[in-house]
This record gives sequence, structure tokens and C-alpha cells, in this order.
Amino acid sequence: MNMGERRLAPGAFLAAAGAVALAGATLLYAQSETGDYEQRNLGALAQPSTPAPAPGAKYSVGSYPLYWPQLEPAEGKDSDRDLTAGYCNACHSPRYILMQPPLTHDQWAGEVTKMVKTFGIEIPEADQTRIINYLTAHYSPETRKR
Amino acid sequence: MKGISRRAVLKTLSAGAAAAAAGPLAGTAGAQQGNAPDRLPTFTGPGANPYWGNVGPVATYPQKVPLLLLTDRPVQLETPRYFFQTPFTPNGAFYVRWHLDDIPNTVDLGEWRLEISGNVEKPAKYTFDALLNSLPATTVAAVNQCSGNSRSRFQPRVAGGQWGNGAMGNALWKGVRLADVLAGAGVKAGSVEVQFQGLDRGKGPEGRGSNAFLKSLEVSNPVLKECILAYEMNGEPLPMLNGFPVRLVVPGYFATYWVKALTNIRVLEKPDENFWMKTGYRIPDTARGTTTPAEVKAGTVKTVPIGRMPVRSFIITPDGETKVPMGMTVNVRGIAFSGEGRVTRVEVSEDDAKSWLPAKLGEDLGAYSFRMWEFAWKPRRAGLHVLAVRATDEKGNVQPDEGVWNPGGYLWNRIERQHVMVGTENAGGGR
Repeated sequence: MNMGERRLAPGAFLAAAGAVALAGATLLYAQSETGDYEQRNLGALAQPSTPAPAPGAKYSVGSYPLYWPQLEPAEGKDSDRDLTAGYCNACHSPRYILMQPPLTHDQWAGEVTKMVKTFGIEIPEADQTRIINYLTAHYSPETRKR
Repeated sequence: MKGISRRAVLKTLSAGAAAAAAGPLAGTAGAQQGNAPDRLPTFTGPGANPYWGNVGPVATYPQKVPLLLLTDRPVQLETPRYFFQTPFTPNGAFYVRWHLDDIPNTVDLGEWRLEISGNVEKPAKYTFDALLNSLPATTVAAVNQCSGNSRSRFQPRVAGGQWGNGAMGNALWKGVRLADVLAGAGVKAGSVEVQFQGLDRGKGPEGRGSNAFLKSLEVSNPVLKECILAYEMNGEPLPMLNGFPVRLVVPGYFATYWVKALTNIRVLEKPDENFWMKTGYRIPDTARGTTTPAEVKAGTVKTVPIGRMPVRSFIITPDGETKVPMGMTVNVRGIAFSGEGRVTRVEVSEDDAKSWLPAKLGEDLGAYSFRMWEFAWKPRRAGLHVLAVRATDEKGNVQPDEGVWNPGGYLWNRIERQHVMVGTENAGGGR
């Protein structure tokens, strides 16, 4: 796995990490490998690498491909873009932005609020405002280009 | 690929018909009237998605043919229209939808157990071998459809995965009856719900929907007697992304209940109040589950957990990519299903849903299966035709020609249409 591609928001889930491990000890079976993703290039028909089947009771499909999305602006540095993608990436790929239809400012604000209040990610209010403004600036019905 | 299929066309058709079929595919005329992939937008909206499927890129995943990529972590993939030409959807093309990102890449069947616990007389842990060999096996053909299938049709659009029509599939599921496992454990009096959980976990804090995906069904729900703990899908082990080694099958119900990589069955004495029951996957308690943005904003909408799938039908071929030559009979074909029971009638319209003619139903594979249908259509004039299809189920539910709207983007089942251009028989035209 290429951890360099996982732009985790530092500290977002420090409190949660222990709880997840605890749950794993009591609830999970067979989790010898989970959540294994690997960066790939979209467009090619290259097959994901399949490990040579090994004898025994472990059934594996290898890692799942990640396709880091090209977020706006496509060129150059943009701290709001990177901040937004970083927070998204704590729990899920920032490709979730592209999955959505064009959303209004209020709809994007609703999404960010859901991530904070319902799903429990910690984002300072100033950063929440930057994220909402970034998403509205590039992914609203008026602004979305691709 | 394109060259191979073109050669195949030339081989099987007469020279004249081949020229007619190949004509619209070549050059700008074809690009203008067809859905040539290089002309697809990269997203749709704020209007409704006019395409059959999601317009995203294709991506290849383990045990899967290239599918339409919605998201990569967690994985969400849509099945292209092409794969619905058969009653059973191939495992390799079956759509994928996970909620949380920590999903299994490897399952060790030596360690894996299916645990039944909670308000039962005899809590138990089944090994994979025990499920295969100690309980009677049964099979059911059943459609698995995402609650948000066709969400991209909604107006105004709602947030969530913008599925086209391909967040569904039909499979022959084999496994043991949930009822046998529950009877073996002995459900105690005072039990109200049965909760299901699989191997998936998320990065969120414990107790939140971002940490665990949990779904429950009421103990009194008759569907529990029809549920299967499936270890086989279309005669094969389940693909890892579809829930290997065991998945809950809830015939007639939306896929949100079909918990993948199942490990835990808990009998509860109190209603399940976790996010995925109390907040997520709820629909307005109205006819067809429809409401308006204004009512949602006013906070007056009473909601209930989503349940059975409304009746739907789809035209799979023709898909409108090429012109149909005048004089030929077009075999219009597709699928139909209902979560309320068997499909009893499918009708086709050649005049934009104004008048209807009966289609021929294919083999009855069970009340919850896709049912194939076909309609021999001989266009009576050249020009644009708007075909439509509607199904009726055994409860008398008929597909309506109005959409629905709810904030989750669930329950879409409006009549589907397909535009087909019928060409003239010769270059002179003038008919």
C-alpha cells in the first residue's frame, strides 16, 4: 500500500483509533487483511495483481485499487483543495466529491455538517467554512466544469 | 475490441444490412445521434441524468469485469446495461456498494465464524464448514437492488451516489435458512428485532454510523422466514466485493439489509437505534415514499425504514446507439421484477406511453427474480420512436409514469423509456 497517497487529516480520529482496535478484538473474525488499497492509474485496462493462490484457509483478492481524483483546480497549488481532500480522505476517498451531483452551497454545508455532527470527524469551524466555500466554488450547479 | 466486433458484424450480416448497420457508427453523423463514449459528459446535473447508467469512468477490480466507478474507497461500482441481457447477472459484473472503507481483502475461513447471540437460549458460533454441512441447503433467485438505484433521475438532485439504473442484479443464492439458525438458537420471548453485522468497519468513532454498519429486521417480519445465509451466488463462491464468505439474502427487500461478509446475528430486546436504522435508509411514510423539499425543510415528514422494492421494468435492447432499418422486426427485450411478488404482466408502448401492448414473459424463475420479457416490434414508419415499458406485479401494483422525490434518493420506479431512430430503406428516402 502506498501510504503517501493517503493524505490523512492528522489527529482527526486519534480518539477513535483505540475504540476500533478494541472492537476488532471482540467482534471481528478473519480480518487478517482488511482495508488494503493501492494507488493505480485510471483508464488502463490493467488487471489488479492477483496473488498466486496459496493453500490453506485464507482467501485473498489482494489490494483494492485507489484512483486519486483530479480535483479543481487541476493545475498548481491550492491549499483549499488540499485541505478539503485531506479531511475527506480521513474516512473515504475524495472521489466522493466527484460522485455527487452539482450541489448548492447549502447542500455542501449539509454534507460537511453531517460528516462532523453525525459521523464524528473533528474539523475546526474555520476549516469547515473553507471546505464548504471550496466545494461551492468548484462543484455547484453554477461552477462545476467536470 | 471495436475492430473485432465490427468484423463479427460483417461476417454475419449481408453486405447491404452491414452497410446500414455500420453507417451510423462511422463519422460525425453517428457521433451526433449515438451515445458514443467519447461524447459522454464527466458528470450530469443539475438536470436529471439522461443516460441509462452512471457516466463515470470504468475501473477494474478483483473478480470483476470493468465496471462503472462511483468511488474507490469504500468501493462502489455500477453494472453497465449490457449485462442485463440474461436473467442472472454474472458475478463478475454484479454491482458493488460498501458503506465503510475497512472491507475484507482476505478472509481466513479457519477463523471466520457466524455468531448468533443476544436474547437467545443457546448462543452459537457456526464455522463455514458447519453452515455447509450441518444444515439443509436451499436456493432462491432474488434481485439485489440498491435503495438508491436510479438516484441520478431525481429532480431536484439529491446528494449521494449518482447511480444510473445499474445498481441492481439478480442471482441464484444458495445457503441455509436464517429461520433454521434462529430456531437452533431459540429466540426468547420479548425479542423485537434481529440485527446483522459483517466484517466491514469504518474510521469513525465507536457508536457512530461511520464506525459500523448495522441493519435490523423486526422479529415479527414474515420475511425472516424467507431469508437465506448465502454461501453461493450463481453456483460460485461470492466474490469478495459481494460479501464472501456469507451474505444475508432478504428476498424482495432493498439491498441495504443484505449484509455482506456476515459475522454477527444478534437478537435484540429493544429496537435498533443505530444510525443505519434510525437515520439512514429511511423513507417518507407516504404513498410511494414521495415528498417535497419544502416538506422536508419544514420538518413535517414522518419516516419509516425502507423495506420492499416497488415494481420496475427496463428496456435492455435496443439501446438507441444505432439506427434500426425500416422493414426489420426489432426484438425489444428487457427485465422486470417486484419486491412485492411475482411480475404478472409487462406491457410495451411504441408511442411514448400513450397506448400499450402486451409483451411475452420469459421463464418464471421465482417471485423475487428478474423476469425476462420480449416484444417483437415492427416499426410502421421511419423516424424517431419513443418506446416505453411498464410492469404489473401479482399484488396489482403497476409502474406509474411519475417520479418520486425524497431526500435519500430512494424508491425510483417510474416507467422507463428508450428512444429509437428508425431509418429508411434506401438513400432516396422520401417516405
